[in-house]
Amino acid sequence: MRHFLGLISIIVLLLVSCASPYRALHEIKDTKATALKYKPIFKREVYRCTVDGKFLFKKFHLSGILFFKQMDDGNTRVVFQNEMGFTFFDFGWNQNDSVKVYDILPQLNKPAVVKLLKKDLNLFMMRGLDKPSETLYKKDRDTYYRFTLSKGYAYYIEEDGKLVRIENVGKHKAVTTIIIGEKKTAHDMPGSILFAHHKAHFTIQLKKIEEHAD
Amino acid sequence: MCMRNIFCAVLISFIPFILQAQPKGFADIKNVTAFKDALAKSNASIETIASDFTQTKNLSMLSDKIKSKGKFYFKKDDKVRIEYTSPYSYLLVMNGGRLLVKDEQKTNKINTRNSKMMQSVNRIIIDCMRGSVFQNPDFKVQAFENGQHYLLSLSPVTEGMKKMFRQIDVYINKRNFDVNQLVMREQGGDYTDMDFTNTKHNVSLNETLFRVN
Repeated sequence: MRHFLGLISIIVLLLVSCASPYRALHEIKDTKATALKYKPIFKREVYRCTVDGKFLFKKFHLSGILFFKQMDDGNTRVVFQNEMGFTFFDFGWNQNDSVKVYDILPQLNKPAVVKLLKKDLNLFMMRGLDKPSETLYKKDRDTYYRFTLSKGYAYYIEEDGKLVRIENVGKHKAVTTIIIGEKKTAHDMPGSILFAHHKAHFTIQLKKIEEHAD
Repeated sequence: MCMRNIFCAVLISFIPFILQAQPKGFADIKNVTAFKDALAKSNASIETIASDFTQTKNLSMLSDKIKSKGKFYFKKDDKVRIEYTSPYSYLLVMNGGRLLVKDEQKTNKINTRNSKMMQSVNRIIIDCMRGSVFQNPDFKVQAFENGQHYLLSLSPVTEGMKKMFRQIDVYINKRNFDVNQLVMREQGGDYTDMDFTNTKHNVSLNETLFRVN
């Protein structure tokens, strides 16, 4: 009997530890509150960018400059280049949030990579979100704004009135976490951003830099 | 003479100008052999180069620029150190067939002997700085001059280089044969402009600057 109870408690413990943390969220009815108050608005921002990961047991590391620019025609461009000026990728968004790949290094031009980069940048810039699907949840002092994606959900997590992270959640677990650094205002671009891909095992780190060397 | 022949005659008369299109403010160097000899003589006397540089990446579609600066070092025959100091820290060292790349977080060492493309990129940087571009098999070179500068316009001939560059322009000071400016133009219209200032020749450069291991 004692062995049986021990086994039961281990199973319960396992189930609790494996349970989705999102199950503990309590839905709240607030039709006015929206995560879109955190949508980044920018004219031009330059970030130091480093990418680290592992592919087929081999580590890789890339560094360069990531450039966000709002064009005069209302479109948005995001360009990643190495320090010497060679372009890794150049993506553009029109006002309907449709994405176009202007340029990409052949080594990066794989459907899975392009899809992942687009998704990261869409989540961060709050592009292409299904606004009617937005639902609010509370957990302790945190507010979770949830949007339904074509697969899974996007949670924008607010702590003490500040957006602190974005989580792209699959069935139960976060597949991507985006840690948002300090922002001066809600719509400002943060000082730092960290994209952590838990399944694909790679990270993209961004740190805002001075625009020019002068 | 029929209309077609007139059109052909006009077109043919323009061909020499089309083929010898000159950059604005520059004329063809009349005696290229004499220029090559003078450049070779100047370069033979240079063992090391130390210079400051300012790099401006011009993003044509975005109508914008990204500026950075740093230090450039060259030591005969094939050692190069390009050290970006602002607004980020980034180091590139070429020594023989080896390459070291270091940013704020990581150091990567690459053996370029395994990559023809990497060898070509290595070589063009060294050739541009020591003025030996006429011997580079990856590019066709046209030479021009104005009052202050010689201009070597390099057009890629190999497929690999064509993917990376549309043209490279090397501006050489007529007074001392220093490379004052390097403009690397990409196929999409973007270009990277490197301006070299405070150039010193034959200063003592410690081997540790070029250490790759």
